[in-house]
Amino acid sequence: MKIIFFRYFVRQAMRNMVENRLVHLIGLGTMVIAFLMFDAFILIFVNLNSWTQEQGRSLTMSIYFKGEPERAVIENIKKELLQYPVSITDFISKDDALKSLRKQLGEKAGLLDGLGENPLPASLEIILSRDVSGDSLPYELKTRLERIHGIDEVQYSQEWVEKFQAIMGAVKIIGLVFGGLLFLAALFIITNTVKLTIYSRKDEIEILKLVGATNRFVKIPFLIEGSIQGFLGGSVALIVLFLVYVAIITKVDLSIGFASLDIIFLSPQFILLLLLMSSIIGFIGSTVSLGRFFRI
Amino acid sequence: MIRLFHVYKSFGSKNPALIDISLTVPKGEFVFVTGPSGAGKTTLLKIIFCAEKPTSGHALVDGRNLTRIKDGELSSLRRRIGVVFQDFKLLPRRTVFENVALSLEVMGVPPSRIRKKVHQTLRYLGLADKEGYYPPQLSGGEQQRIAIARAIVNNPLILLADEPTGNLDYDLTMEIMALLKEIHTRGTTVVVATHSQELLKGTRRRIIALHKGRMV
Repeated sequence: MKIIFFRYFVRQAMRNMVENRLVHLIGLGTMVIAFLMFDAFILIFVNLNSWTQEQGRSLTMSIYFKGEPERAVIENIKKELLQYPVSITDFISKDDALKSLRKQLGEKAGLLDGLGENPLPASLEIILSRDVSGDSLPYELKTRLERIHGIDEVQYSQEWVEKFQAIMGAVKIIGLVFGGLLFLAALFIITNTVKLTIYSRKDEIEILKLVGATNRFVKIPFLIEGSIQGFLGGSVALIVLFLVYVAIITKVDLSIGFASLDIIFLSPQFILLLLLMSSIIGFIGSTVSLGRFFRI
Repeated sequence: MIRLFHVYKSFGSKNPALIDISLTVPKGEFVFVTGPSGAGKTTLLKIIFCAEKPTSGHALVDGRNLTRIKDGELSSLRRRIGVVFQDFKLLPRRTVFENVALSLEVMGVPPSRIRKKVHQTLRYLGLADKEGYYPPQLSGGEQQRIAIARAIVNNPLILLADEPTGNLDYDLTMEIMALLKEIHTRGTTVVVATHSQELLKGTRRRIIALHKGRMV
């Protein structure tokens, strides 16, 4: 493309946006809403996904003892565990368990005073560090440990994680469908916005064709306009999403019982990808509406 | 320059707009196309600048068969035809300069050359001081002269004018006609469609008369 043409196209696109600013602002507003829903959905999805993966990767196993175990028993278990890909966290004695429960209860800790004997078991927590989801290792370890004298019960989070992963599988499919629908909605909105600006400039297009402009010459400024609009819509949506994100992580406590959710914002790569996608949607939207217009 | 062979044009089921039109306009001629409203003058001009295609028959302009023309060829052909309308068809939100420059911008002419050509043309038409104005700020006669400037700025081979004086009073009509004649003397083929008998009074130019789509 000649430089002269390119300069003309960009100038023209900018000018059109300024001249039809009302139509563009309305379009931009609707686009921001569509992109915001899409981006928010992506953010939630990415977080849930990485969280489940995290849970699946490191699996926690709790070993509960009958009474207070002797040091030798614990050392024995630790030795036994050395042959497995595990890391051992601290041993929690019966007293420690009670203390931490008191701390958790806070003001209501007085309730525990009524108990004669400490009902809480001593425990040892271990983390299986390798990706053991779908593996028989946790079960094997559990049965082996439960045979050791002094161990009451071994619990692990595997079952729960497996259930959660099954749910995530469904969420992924729903996500794909929902995300696809949101994508189409954004595309539809942009197509119509561009169509509005095209109709508002019907005379101009007619005159351009009259003085010998090629179809491409007429179309390119609209395509640039659509891409810029998509990019702007995408940027504003991301900014709004970020502000909402900051407000949520600073004001709302997101711990759900056992695990606290660390929500992370979209990575820079993801942001770039979303911006690129917004521009592409803008471009496609313009192409679609121009196609319709030039057929008329 | 312009040759039509048995051209028919109909729009849907309505009465045909043009019936069996055959004519030749050689290079450098000045012709009038006349007839009452609805005679088919505008349709004839539209066929020549390819805004409409003949339903049957053939139209040749500058050696090209318009029934088989592609988009790329169409735009290059249109750059050789200047068109002027009764309602001027100027862009109201563009300055006079920008309106005239449009014809050169679509050709990819460098900006410095565009400036030179537009200045030259506006000076020629006595509009040098109106460059920065917007069309709605100008009189009808001035607007039509700008439309003519846009039509001739790229030195077209053919100038088509569809009722160019339809919205103008007598004095301005004479002014515009004088201008068209002057453009003709520079070698441009000129076709003027008009229903005004006054315009044709005493002319020695060829007159193509249409009535209900037929040549009479």
